[in-house]
Amino acid sequence: MKHEIEVRQMVKSFGKKSALNGVDFHVQKGEIFGFLGPSGSGKTTMVKILTSQLQHTSGSVQVFGTDVSKLRDSSQLKRIGILTDNSGLYDRLTVYENLELFCKLYDVDVKRIDEVLEEVNLIQDKKTVVSKLSKGMKQRVTLVRALLHKPELLFLDEPTSALDPTNKQQIHASLRKLNESGTTIFLSTHDMQEAEYLCQRLAFLDHGKIVELDNPHNLRSKYGDSTINLVLRNGSRIQIKQNENGAQSIAQYITNGELMSIHSNEPTLGEIFIQLTGRSLQ
Amino acid sequence: MTFSIRRVSAIVRKDVKDLIKNAYAILITIFLPLGLAAMLSRSGSDDASLLGTPINLALVITGAFVQATIMAEEKEKNTLRALLLSPATRMEIMLGKSFLSSLITILVVIGSIFISKMQVPGLFYFTIMILLSLIIFISFGTIIGLVSRTVMETSIVGLPLLVIFTYGSLISTMLDNAVVSTIITYLPTESFSSALIILEQNGGFSEIKWHLLNMLIWAISSLIIAVIVYGKSRFDK
Repeated sequence: MKHEIEVRQMVKSFGKKSALNGVDFHVQKGEIFGFLGPSGSGKTTMVKILTSQLQHTSGSVQVFGTDVSKLRDSSQLKRIGILTDNSGLYDRLTVYENLELFCKLYDVDVKRIDEVLEEVNLIQDKKTVVSKLSKGMKQRVTLVRALLHKPELLFLDEPTSALDPTNKQQIHASLRKLNESGTTIFLSTHDMQEAEYLCQRLAFLDHGKIVELDNPHNLRSKYGDSTINLVLRNGSRIQIKQNENGAQSIAQYITNGELMSIHSNEPTLGEIFIQLTGRSLQ
Repeated sequence: MTFSIRRVSAIVRKDVKDLIKNAYAILITIFLPLGLAAMLSRSGSDDASLLGTPINLALVITGAFVQATIMAEEKEKNTLRALLLSPATRMEIMLGKSFLSSLITILVVIGSIFISKMQVPGLFYFTIMILLSLIIFISFGTIIGLVSRTVMETSIVGLPLLVIFTYGSLISTMLDNAVVSTIITYLPTESFSSALIILEQNGGFSEIKWHLLNMLIWAISSLIIAVIVYGKSRFDK
């Protein structure tokens, strides 16, 4: 399968301090790949390197099968969309005027503006001056800007950090829709629920190193303790091991009509991260 | 690499809309040279060499400072990075971002000439000198804007430029130092004023060629430095 991003033994140092140390991963075409880690773990540095805003110290970084430095060409930049913490907007201009500029730079019909604003629930603020928008609304406008040209590869650095749950949900739905239409997404986040909901594969980043990489289901299975939690009608809670004896016990509770609920004991991504690194994602 | 007029005009149109909503910020840089030209017209003198002062002021203050403000604001608000990561090429962005300040400067220069009621000597060479000066000071403005962290900081970074380039002759007289005086004669503003005097005394190309060459060297050097500084702003360290 063709890889949209391929990173091999990549190191990024700032002076004597290394921010990313021997990072290895690839992102397949059409997947949503999550880079999960707490603040300061190197996520933003990774996004900046992948979008050629920052040069790596050693190793290999390829985007669309060629060296990342080629991303500086106009033809390649048209293929990517970027939303980072340093994506600014023109405060004195309206939402529409901001987006109109980028439609022209990306050679996109301005009719697309309404379409994307509708998706992120901002159409009613089209003529509002950006300085009058809330932080979350500004974040949605910068996301719209990154989506205007329907990029093949979208880089998102904490895309919903300033959003309320409703808008977060709406953005997630838009991102899924975009992904279903073929856009590959590289998502850097510390929000484990966001990662779990959106990502097909996840890399856990800690102190500049990938400490685990797999799909969320495999990760939960791998780091779960193979037990099942039962809640009985009399209110008691029982933990049962996933083996032959456990299966017989569960069958017995069901037969006797004692079982009220049953849940596999899978850890959350946050719990897995703590297991791996000894620190939380926040 | 392709060049797109559509992208350049999109950047220019954005700057025009932005400036209309923030016009008061540049009013002082426009009125200062025009005010000086008005004072000259009241003096009753028809000495064209005096015209050099408001024009140099227009080039330094209007050209360099309007450009510096435009660039610094893009940098401060993180919008420059968004432009640099768009398909617009370096040249398209630089041209787009310089167009408005160049246009305003040219209008202020023309306005200064009309207000001062002075005759422009040697219109052809005068136009060439204006164009060279425009390249020099728009490049300086770009450099000041890009090295400043904020719009406010452009005044601090650009102040020495304003003083040295506008009041070079005065500094030379005040310091009475041969080395400083010699250095000051190589400033483009000094070349401009000297060439203007020569042209007024019916001098031609052979008399002003070294001044033109000096201004050309300044124009090429400042443009190269602006391109380098601008290229670096695309990347983080």
